[in-house]
Amino acid sequence: MEIQVTYVSTSAAGLPQREQRRLAGTTFRIGRGTQCEIHLPDARVALVHARLLIDEEGARLEAEPHRIVHNDREVGGAKLAVGDVIEIGPYVLIVEPPPEGVALAFSVRLSKRVSTKQSTAIYRVLMRTPPLSKRRLSYLAFFGLLALLLAPMAVDLLGREVPAVRALSIGLAQTWNPGPLARGHQGFSQDCRTCHELPFIQVRDHACMACHTGVREHVAPERRTGFTKVAFIESRCAECHRDHKGRAMAPRSQQLCVNCHGADGVSDFATAHPEFRLALVDGDRPDEIRRVRMRDASGPVVEHSNLKFNHTLHLDSRGVRHPRGRRVLGCEACHERAEGGARMVPVSMEKHCSECHALSFEPKVTGRQVPHGPVKQMQTMLREFYARLALGDVPADVAPPGDLPRVRPGAMLTPEERQQVMRVADAKAQRVMREMVETRAVCSTCHHVSRSRAGEWQVAPVALTAAWMPGATFTHARHVAQPCITCHDVRGSRRAEDVAMPAIAQCRECHGGATPAMGKIASDCAACHRFHGGQGLWH
Amino acid sequence: MRVALVLCAAALAVYAWHEPPAVYVKPYGGTWLGYALGTLSALLVLWLLLLGVRKRRYRSRMGTVQGWTSAHVYLGASLLVLATLHSGFEFDWNVHTLAYVLMVLVIASGAVGVYAYLRYPALMTKNLGEDTLEGTLLTIGDLDRKCRRIALDLPDEVNAIVTRATRGSTREVRLGGSLWRQLAGDAVPCPTREACAELMRLGAAYSGQQAALNGQLVSAMTRKSTLVDRVRRDLRYRALMQFWLYAHVPLSFALLAALIAHVISVFYFW
Repeated sequence: MEIQVTYVSTSAAGLPQREQRRLAGTTFRIGRGTQCEIHLPDARVALVHARLLIDEEGARLEAEPHRIVHNDREVGGAKLAVGDVIEIGPYVLIVEPPPEGVALAFSVRLSKRVSTKQSTAIYRVLMRTPPLSKRRLSYLAFFGLLALLLAPMAVDLLGREVPAVRALSIGLAQTWNPGPLARGHQGFSQDCRTCHELPFIQVRDHACMACHTGVREHVAPERRTGFTKVAFIESRCAECHRDHKGRAMAPRSQQLCVNCHGADGVSDFATAHPEFRLALVDGDRPDEIRRVRMRDASGPVVEHSNLKFNHTLHLDSRGVRHPRGRRVLGCEACHERAEGGARMVPVSMEKHCSECHALSFEPKVTGRQVPHGPVKQMQTMLREFYARLALGDVPADVAPPGDLPRVRPGAMLTPEERQQVMRVADAKAQRVMREMVETRAVCSTCHHVSRSRAGEWQVAPVALTAAWMPGATFTHARHVAQPCITCHDVRGSRRAEDVAMPAIAQCRECHGGATPAMGKIASDCAACHRFHGGQGLWH
Repeated sequence: MRVALVLCAAALAVYAWHEPPAVYVKPYGGTWLGYALGTLSALLVLWLLLLGVRKRRYRSRMGTVQGWTSAHVYLGASLLVLATLHSGFEFDWNVHTLAYVLMVLVIASGAVGVYAYLRYPALMTKNLGEDTLEGTLLTIGDLDRKCRRIALDLPDEVNAIVTRATRGSTREVRLGGSLWRQLAGDAVPCPTREACAELMRLGAAYSGQQAALNGQLVSAMTRKSTLVDRVRRDLRYRALMQFWLYAHVPLSFALLAALIAHVISVFYFW
C-alpha cells in the first residue's frame, strides 16, 4: 500500500512550499532517527517517536512509550481519520483526503521553529558553569603554596642579619624540619645553619668537629693500610650519624661491624667471637703492654707482676691470723669498688695488707714499722733510729735494746767518739735489716728479693695490671648482682701469676648474641665495644 | 596498566628485599632506594601533570589521549605505592608530609573521577534515554508556551501561577546554576512542582469547560515537571563528572608546588 506525505515548508520569500513524497509499505516509522521513513529532524522528537500502521481497516499511529497530541489530546496512540491534527514534538501532521490509489495522505509542517532567543536560553543552561575557575584555582594553589613553602629559603638567603627576619626564619624553618633532632642537638633547632653550613652542600665534618673535639677515628689515619686505607677515605660523620631521625643518632647495628670484621671471622658474640685478649703489664717491663689471647695454644695466661700472693690461703673459710684473732676474709676485704662503681680501687699495701702484714723491725724494742717502699728508705730509717738511740736520745715509746751501747745523755763527745757511736749504730741497723729480710722474711712474703753483687738487697719491681681489657666498656656497676666468684674464679689459686679474668665462655653463660635468645641478654658488638674508641671506662 | 603493576610490584619487592643500610636508624628517603623511589615518583608526578598538556595538543601523535588517560589512571594509582615507600612511613608536620598528603588527596580525587566516569555516563543514558538535553529543553519551552496559552482562558489566579512557573523557563525553573545547585539536582524547591500542586488544589473547585482546561494545564505542567526533573538529574550527573576536577586540578598544582619545595628543602639543607 502507498501513502502520500506532503512536507510543508516556508520558502525564502515566505510562501508555503509543498513537497510530496509517496512511500510504499504497511509500517512506517516516524522520528528524528535517519532510519525513519518519515523523518522529523528536531531534537524534540524521539529517534523513533511513533509507528504508522496501515491495513484494511485504516491507519493507526502507535507512539508508546512516547506521547503524541491527537486533536489537542495527549495520547499514546490514535486511529487516524481525515481532518485529524496530530502533533509530534514541534511538527503538526494534518490528515488530508487521500488521492486515488493512496491509503493515507497527510501533510507535515514544522509549527514551532526554535527561536534564537530560545536556543540562547538553552545554551545558557548548558554553558552555565560555576564562577570558580579551575585554572585560576590552580595558579593560586601553585604559586601560593610555592611562595609559602619556599619562604624559609628566601628568608635564609636574604635576611639572616636582620633580627626580625631571623626570628621569622626560625619559625618558618620548622616547616622544613623533616624530623625531631637528637636530644643533644635540639638546641640548634633554632638555626639550621649550625650544622647545614652551606646551602646545597651536605653537612660537613667541620660543623660536627666544632663541638665534638677529640673524637678518635676508628682507624687512625697513620695506621690505615690496605683495605682500611680505602674504606675510610672521605667518610663524613653524617654518613653514619644521621640526625632528624628521632633521639638516637649513633647507629649500633651489628651489621655495620660485621661488614668489615666478618672477614676476620667475627660476626656475633654468641657464635663467632675470638677469645678475649688481655693487656698485661709485666713488673720487669712496666712501660710495655703485653697483649695475650686467653686460652691460646701456649697454655694459660700468666701475669708477671713480681708479687707473691695466695688467694686460697687468704680466703680460707676458717679465717686468717690477724693481730686481733682470726678473721675470715672476703673479696671485698681487699678489692673495693671505686667511685662510680665501674672500676676497682687498686689494692694497696698500706690499706689492705698492713693490718696483718706489719713491717715492724724489732718488735721487742718498738711498735714502729719501716716504711713500705724502696730498700734505701728502709735502711735510712733504721740507721737514723738506731743512731738516735745510741746517742742517748730514747723516745718514750721505745725500750732500748740491750745490744746497743748508749752514750749517757748530755755527755759531750769528741768527733772520734761520735764516729765510733755511729758505726755501732749502723752495724745494729744493718743487723736488723738482714734479720728482717733474711731471717724473718718480712719483705719476701710478698716480694721477690735478691742480693746484688755489691751485697745490696733488691726488691723486684711490681706492676699490677689495672685495665685487663682496656678497649671494653665493661663496668662492674652493672654486674653487682653477681658475686665476684662468678667471673673471677680464684678458688684453688695459690700463685700471683694466676689470671682470674673470665673467659668468653663465662660471659656467654649470660650474654647472647645480637639476636635475642631465651634466657640470655641480647648483646651486640656495641654492648662492649666503641666504634670511635677512646671513650671506654678503662682508658 | 601493565607498566604500573610491574612498577608497583618491583617497588614493593625491592623495598621488602632492601634492608636499609644499617647506618640508618630506620628507612627513609635518604637511602639509595629512597632516592631512587623519590626520583621516580617525582618524574611520575611531572608526567601525570603532562596529561593536561597532551589532551590539548590535538595534533600530537604521541600516543592517543585515551592511552594517556588510561596510563594516567594506573600510574597515578601506582604513585601511591611508590611515594609511600619513599616516605619510609615517616610522617610529621612539615613540608614533606604536606607534599605526601596533597599527593594522596590528588589521587583520591582522581579515584572519585574514575568512579564518576564509570558510573554516570550509564545513568545519564538511562535518565534521558534517546532524548538529548537540548531536545528536552526545547520541549520544556514548548510546554511553557502551551501552558500560558491555556491559562489565558482561566481565572487570574491560575494565570498568575502559570506565569510565575513558566517565566523565562530555563532561568526561572532554576536549571543549571552554581556548582552546588547543579550537584543538588532535583532536591531544590521547584516552581513547576509547586505550580502543579497549586493548580490541582484550585482545579477541584472548577467545573465544565474550566475544569477541562485546567485538566489540560495540569497534564502539561506535570509533563513539564517530569522533564525538568530529568534535566536536573542530567545536569547533576554532568556536574558530578566535573566537580572532582575542581579538586583534582588545583590540588595537582598545589602538589607540584609542595614537591618543588620538598626537593629544594631536602637539598638546600642537605
